[in-house]
Amino acid sequence: MSSLLKQVRVMIRTNLSSLPRRVPISASMVLSVALVVCVLAGFLAMARGFEAALTGTGSQQVAVLLGGGTNQESGSDIPASVIRTLGAMTGDMGVVRDAAGNILSSREIVAPVEVSGTDGVARTLALRGMDASGLGLRDGIVLSQGRVFTPGTREVVVGDRLANDLKLKAGDTLRLGSVDWTVAGRFSAHGSAFESEIWSDLDAVRAAFDRQGQVQSLRLRLTSPQSLTLLQERLGTISGTPLKAIAEADLYAGQAGRTASLIRLFGWPLALLMAVGATAGALNTMMSSVSDRAVEIATVRALGFSRLAAVVGTWTEAVMLASLGVILGLFASWLAFNGWQASTIGANNTRLAFQLAVTPDVLTTAGLLGLAIGAVGGILPALSAARVPLTLALRARG
Amino acid sequence: MTEPALAHIDLSGVGKAFRIGTQTVPVFSGLDLSIAAGDFVAIMGPSGSGKSTLLNMLAGIDSPDSGTLRIGASRLDQMGEGARAAWRAHNMGIVFQFYNLLPMLTAAENIELPLLLKPLSARERRLRVDKVLELVGLNGRGKQYPALMSGGQQQRVGIARAIVTDPGLLLCDEPTGDLDRQSADEALSMLGFLNRELGKTIVMVTHDPQAAGHAKRTLHLDKGHFIEETRAA
Repeated sequence: MSSLLKQVRVMIRTNLSSLPRRVPISASMVLSVALVVCVLAGFLAMARGFEAALTGTGSQQVAVLLGGGTNQESGSDIPASVIRTLGAMTGDMGVVRDAAGNILSSREIVAPVEVSGTDGVARTLALRGMDASGLGLRDGIVLSQGRVFTPGTREVVVGDRLANDLKLKAGDTLRLGSVDWTVAGRFSAHGSAFESEIWSDLDAVRAAFDRQGQVQSLRLRLTSPQSLTLLQERLGTISGTPLKAIAEADLYAGQAGRTASLIRLFGWPLALLMAVGATAGALNTMMSSVSDRAVEIATVRALGFSRLAAVVGTWTEAVMLASLGVILGLFASWLAFNGWQASTIGANNTRLAFQLAVTPDVLTTAGLLGLAIGAVGGILPALSAARVPLTLALRARG
Repeated sequence: MTEPALAHIDLSGVGKAFRIGTQTVPVFSGLDLSIAAGDFVAIMGPSGSGKSTLLNMLAGIDSPDSGTLRIGASRLDQMGEGARAAWRAHNMGIVFQFYNLLPMLTAAENIELPLLLKPLSARERRLRVDKVLELVGLNGRGKQYPALMSGGQQQRVGIARAIVTDPGLLLCDEPTGDLDRQSADEALSMLGFLNRELGKTIVMVTHDPQAAGHAKRTLHLDKGHFIEETRAA
């Protein structure tokens, strides 16, 4: 081992061994770093969880047809004439047809409904009316309890995440709008955004909410993900209203991107502002450390230790204290946030439930910010350690 | 112990001044001093006479503004701070008034510090530490922490640390200033032994006439000039 490495090792050891003399101020640095890490990890976990809920939703092999020049179901309207034209179109459209040659599709509308939870707080939820074929057009849906709704009746199936939140089970009655609905069953969609919806028969929803004849979106199963282009070309031949076909997965991913960016837009500036404060705290802590160890530093420098050893030793102490803060902050954020249920207003102005996800990339990003606090906050004190006057060693009581 | 390097000290026309605010306060002006290798010199004088500044310059902690400062074959006045630090590590040992032991290290680890600057294996370092511990009469106390030792024992650890690299020159800054009479006498006897038996050149700054009595000669410094020299009988 080179002489410099041996010097650095001794400096680090003596610095860390002297920490008990500076417990309060060192602890304040550790805690401030932990707080920054925890806050950033919380925001990133929220963004990541939201993305996970939406990017895991939908399929590339299902097209969602929207009308009226919008990208969202809430503002979309597909006239009945368009649906009739589509049904009458022959030739390859890139969509799957049944044995009789009819397009495999589901007409759908979304009605925002207000429901009071067990906590008494009202939530706006999405009640989706769909054709009987709608369930089959969604990939990865598993009935976890009860049965599917019976067409023409006021029965619903509820996503697991929502059902857990509202404590609903098959056989319960749920008041949506001005009428009662029976929960026929519950479904799982692997935690995706589908689980934040209530599904029922299209005509039953239309009748209950006075939306007779309305269709907001049309779901079609594509023969392959690449067939979307062909479908878009064929839609271009239909005149009267602007139509847009989007892959179902892309529709949800687009919503995820916007909201996740918004969450990060709030989270990063807040975390960075806190990090600036924590860096100032780290600088103060380490300046105290240098002041506390001035005689020791001057002594080893008088014995022949290099300035660099004093610099590295002090800087390493700062990084190690920050590392402690990072570990504490990451552990706390994992305990507090991982798996925590949250909700926000999603597409259609309805509630979207998701689970905060403290993933490895969230831990890494938040951890690196915490380490940066120590690394940056330790620079000036480390340079100051190199400038401790050596005469201090000769005259000061050690 | 190997044969110590010759440490003849030669100061010629050394000038040193400090700037305090806008004022320049001269400490030395044309100071000359010659200390032969193997000598044991005590430097006495009132506060502000320049003792500490002289010791700092001899230790390479400070440098003269003018004149030459030669120790052995080295011109300290021409060295930069890094070179002086490396020179210190290989050519001299310092005994501090308040021992300056690192409290979180054991006696042996404190003594080992200067050896870390040399290309020695852990085994070689341990052998040298054991040897000097025996020399200062602290055999078997290597694993003790300074806080558990008396002042006299701590100063013996300080002396062991100063000689562990076998330097030719020992600089002692009030080595008995924090000790009771008995411990002071033990420490001074040890310095005398190192000078007589091992040929170390020793320069000791002290206020204590009894301590100075252990040196071969005593230089009296006042206002930056040597005003008197006394030799031991």
